[in-house]
Amino acid sequence: MEIQVTQASEVTVVVPKGDLDTASAAQMKQTLGALLDAGKTRLVVDLGGVAYMDSAGLGQLVNAMKLARKAGGDLRLCALSEETLRVFKTTRLNKEMALYPTRQAAIASWR
Amino acid sequence: MIGEGPEGTFVLTSEPQRLAGLREWLREELTRHKVEQQEQFGLQVAVGEICSNSIKHAYNWLGGKPIHVSVRGTDDRLIIEVRDFGKKFDPQSYQPPDLEAVPEGGIGLHLVRQFVDELSFDVTEEQGTRWTLVKYRPGRTPGARPA
Repeated sequence: MEIQVTQASEVTVVVPKGDLDTASAAQMKQTLGALLDAGKTRLVVDLGGVAYMDSAGLGQLVNAMKLARKAGGDLRLCALSEETLRVFKTTRLNKEMALYPTRQAAIASWR
Repeated sequence: MIGEGPEGTFVLTSEPQRLAGLREWLREELTRHKVEQQEQFGLQVAVGEICSNSIKHAYNWLGGKPIHVSVRGTDDRLIIEVRDFGKKFDPQSYQPPDLEAVPEGGIGLHLVRQFVDELSFDVTEEQGTRWTLVKYRPGRTPGARPA
């Protein structure tokens, strides 16, 4: 999986491309963990390039969201496909996590 | 070892990196069985979760171990079997997730149940677990007579 990280003012934007599954979950955990360790707690993960997600990938996003909130920030998601949104809905995580239609909307939510 | 076995069967080994190949094969197989596009994603998630469980729990992340996946279709349903040869599934050790508590793990089987109509397992063979996932075709209700 390719994961790009960019900074938009005080918001750190993480852009994974590929499947977020059991094989790539550790890479996502490492990326998000390193950002949180560096004090980057205002996170946006753009899932526009993720066509498939399983419980392992989902678990890493939830874990990072909890850590970010504990540190006074949050992990917000954007650009979910209809399919990946179904994974969130079946676990009710769409009610617990902040989801936005676009990256711009997710970044703007911090202002 | 990875690749197609007899028609409708795929054999992968227990490395997580093999799951992408399984999904690709499954997508083609589901298309061959005329499963609608919107149902295909859920079935890929369901089968992927069962195979991930085999990798994590049956084989304890040890690579090189076989997992067999087969797909059969009838007029009213699709039957997918996943077979591993590792530690048998122990239902006593399974705790359903508390969705109110925003779980980080343990949601794999919950996801499977959301995307299939029936899920069962068989641990009576000498080794491993045979999982059976059933998805009824649109308009065919569970409990109807098999075709």
